[in-house]
Amino acid sequence: MTDLASASEVNETGVNITINGVRVVAPKGELVIDAAERNGVYIPRFCYHPRMEPVGMCRQCLVEVDTGRGPGLQPSCMLTVSDDMTVDTESETTKRAQEGMLEFLLVNHPLDCPVCDKGGECPLQDQTLAFGPGESRFVEEKRHYEKPIPISDLVYLDRERCILCDRCTRFAKDIAGDPLIHFMHRGNETQVLTFPDDPFNSYFSGNTVQICPVGALTARPYRFRARPWDLAEVESTCTTCSVGCRVAVQSSRNELLRYEGVDIESVNHGWLCDKGRFGFESVNSDQRLAGPYLRDVNNSDQLVGTNAALEAAATAIGAGRGGGGVGVIGGARLNNESAYAWSKLARTVIGTDNIDAQLADGLSAQMVLSLPRATIADATSADNVVVIGTDLKEELPVLFLRLKGAAQSGRIKLTELSLLVTGLSKHASASHRYVPGELAHAVGELLASNPQLASGSTVVVIGRPSAADFPDEVEAAVGVLTAGLPLATFLPALRRGNVMGALDMGLSPGVLPGRVSLDEGRDWFGSVWSSLPGEVGLDTAGMLEAAAAGRLDTLVLLGADPLADVPDRDLVERAFAGVGSIVAIDNFVTESVKRANVVLASTAFAEVGGTTTNLEGRVSRLGQMITPPGTARADWMIAAELAWRLGGDLELESLAQIWSEIEAVAPSHAGCTLEVVEAEGAIEGVVVPIPKSPDLAGAPSGPASIRWSAPALAEPPSVDGYSLRLVARRKLYDAATNTQMAPSLANLAEQAQLMVHPGELRRLGVESGTRVNVTSSRTTVVLSLVGDAAMPRGLAVMGLRQPGLAASELIDLRAAITELRIESR
Amino acid sequence: MGYLDGFRVTFNRLFEERVTTEYPQEKRPKPERFHGRHVLNRYEDGMEKCIGCELCAGVCPAQCIYVRGADNPIDDPVSPGERFGYVYEINYLRCIHCDLCVEACPTEAITESKMFEFSFANRQDAIYTKDELVVDDDGKPQRQPWELWHDGDDALTSGWMRATAPSGSAAHVGQVGWSGELGYGVRSPELGQTAPSDDDPDGGQG
Repeated sequence: MTDLASASEVNETGVNITINGVRVVAPKGELVIDAAERNGVYIPRFCYHPRMEPVGMCRQCLVEVDTGRGPGLQPSCMLTVSDDMTVDTESETTKRAQEGMLEFLLVNHPLDCPVCDKGGECPLQDQTLAFGPGESRFVEEKRHYEKPIPISDLVYLDRERCILCDRCTRFAKDIAGDPLIHFMHRGNETQVLTFPDDPFNSYFSGNTVQICPVGALTARPYRFRARPWDLAEVESTCTTCSVGCRVAVQSSRNELLRYEGVDIESVNHGWLCDKGRFGFESVNSDQRLAGPYLRDVNNSDQLVGTNAALEAAATAIGAGRGGGGVGVIGGARLNNESAYAWSKLARTVIGTDNIDAQLADGLSAQMVLSLPRATIADATSADNVVVIGTDLKEELPVLFLRLKGAAQSGRIKLTELSLLVTGLSKHASASHRYVPGELAHAVGELLASNPQLASGSTVVVIGRPSAADFPDEVEAAVGVLTAGLPLATFLPALRRGNVMGALDMGLSPGVLPGRVSLDEGRDWFGSVWSSLPGEVGLDTAGMLEAAAAGRLDTLVLLGADPLADVPDRDLVERAFAGVGSIVAIDNFVTESVKRANVVLASTAFAEVGGTTTNLEGRVSRLGQMITPPGTARADWMIAAELAWRLGGDLELESLAQIWSEIEAVAPSHAGCTLEVVEAEGAIEGVVVPIPKSPDLAGAPSGPASIRWSAPALAEPPSVDGYSLRLVARRKLYDAATNTQMAPSLANLAEQAQLMVHPGELRRLGVESGTRVNVTSSRTTVVLSLVGDAAMPRGLAVMGLRQPGLAASELIDLRAAITELRIESR
Repeated sequence: MGYLDGFRVTFNRLFEERVTTEYPQEKRPKPERFHGRHVLNRYEDGMEKCIGCELCAGVCPAQCIYVRGADNPIDDPVSPGERFGYVYEINYLRCIHCDLCVEACPTEAITESKMFEFSFANRQDAIYTKDELVVDDDGKPQRQPWELWHDGDDALTSGWMRATAPSGSAAHVGQVGWSGELGYGVRSPELGQTAPSDDDPDGGQG
């Protein structure tokens, strides 16, 4: 009875087909190649990729199909299932067709497998062995081209090996939106090439290497470094940005050699950006900090043992605790467990609430934690998606890919509101510009002119548009949004690796682990933590101002480089001059670490396990693959050691034990046990908070989640006709330490320059490329001024942190906008 | 007569051919395909045959081989092609001389000599690096101070006949399988093989 019912149910959505004599049911519209694979029959293929539109280029997946008109050979990647279809993948005809295709493919494919990076994991090798004829009848000389030619700084192309499957070109055109490689010439001479003088400079070029079914595309950073059988592999989550792409981390002899994207439905679909993919080079860098050192009054470095350094750090923090105060800046690099350890150390042992994982370049933690959160899946299936502020292609590249794909397929209606034309603009249904300082008003106008946003589901992706503007305007804009679209959900586009995990663990003033405010959580945490600070502390800007005024004794830099990252270099300089001592815990000797009195070395990606949280709130496992250099230690161990030396005890023993404490203590993480995160099939991670099952609804729960109220709408700043408003935007490749320490990426960062509309150049009477004096309220600098018609009038655009000059020199953190006067020299 | 019978056996043996060899002053002749210490071969033009493909390291059951490849310098290539063996090490404390590395090598770069007598004073000496393994300018194995080489031990070290030709083609069975080597040239055919013919100049290499 039930069988009959389910069979008729299937008939409405599925069709009955026969694969190799076995009757199976396949959903309508499924491709034969997928239906067969789902039922355990692998059909060989080269061009077909489940994340791309099929093209039927390689003809390898030919199988004998009978749809009632007699059996015939059809490419199974181009054929959808139909009722009563009979597929035979093992017939004599199918075998002959597949053997023939392989024999043809190998006519020109060189047999240089021993020197090919793909050898050992090559679909062409594997399928020739499994489906090939074993003998070739061709004795003619093979086609010859110049061996690998660089098609970009990261990718080599060996045209001899190419089998013209169209995977890379389809990826570049359809998925990445950078159609920079294409088939050229005809017939036997057909080859993939870039356009003349236009290299394959895509942020996603590494994916073409991963999906190439032969060794035609190889990555420069991995070239000849190892063979597949050398590699040990662990699955992990990339922490280059907060998207949290799933990666397979591969190493050999305790050295990271390659990341490969892992296909998970909810986040990255197997894609990675090049910054994430090749960022492993910075972990291997020989400039990594391998042990602690102290800097004495004469500014000379003194290498010391770990105990002496921890003692010195504890002394410095202890002095601040007893005197003017301690501030902890940073923590977005840490895994969740270390972030929790530092949150607990600051609150219970140091007794301060001055802790902030964001460097005054993000969004209000209260706002981010209290907004109803969307997932990436929500954002790619909602009726309307509104992207406000950031250029996702530069900041969160894989989120850009997902939204672009959803917009292209017509699933979502994408509306964009940004200062500049972004990578997403041409894929959006509507793309609006606004003027710095007027975001909230622009959002109000957007809502008024687009009433359809209020009907249907709406997801808002919101980030910090420009570090040159005071973030209050983003908060006011979100206030307008939540008032106008009460049902909208939000995806906060914060950029740093585990910044969401850090905020969830309370690395922000007034926030306790589990998205609870300090005041609301006082009773709950009072019973599990030994003590809590009395009042809400300072954020990064507040700490720096206090330090500059001499009201802070000790600054702890927890993987933070404020001199480079805080958008107000002058303030940081004054803070560093005014503070008593600086303790830095980092991977590299950054500009800020050079100013520290005590420096402790900590672990980097793949050197410690634990968990990380992406911008959706998705908790996923990190994998440990290699050992840290020298005496570098995990950040949670440093926190535990410091607590002990400061006369406290965090009672933290291992990553697993810390996680179980987080699960028990943090209200938003209730039920998210390690077993749930690590469960079979849970490679996608777990989005917190996990919805409570109805039978637990009555159970006592922790404190209420954090609340946030929007600031009042401020008047837009008045227009100064002589000035240009600065837009400090982020580029994917910049002067950040992790980029500069990766040799393959370091040179990709553009030099700092100021970009304006060509009309401004005419107004100033200078040529594009002229070096000019640029004056803000902070300082005067010399920059080259470049005209670009894509820039709106009245704005001056520069990278926040490009090599040469950082925009942070020009910015006053507390000013609503940054105005620049430009004069020719 | 008892014990005299025993002496008679001894006495008779005095006039028979002696089976004892004065090892180590002299060595018994080794079979032609004996598995001794490895050498890394070079082509007749002096280029190294090793391309750093790591197939030997991959197949090694004792995991005693460590290889790393690198890009061939364009102006001064070490081996023909893109890639050469940048690091090549064999740990003879682990090697079991099974010859699978020789079988796996796609370029006949690694072969085994007939020399198996080496005594190390320390473990580091047991790890042979590329400098020690690669044949000298005459194509002969380099003799390390701790190795016992006799004349003739280095004969027929740098060739190996596969069960099939490198292409796997059964049609090539019976032809000389090896290519030209530094110091040896192209070998004369073994029993059952024919010399390379003029219209198949690469000697059946496929």
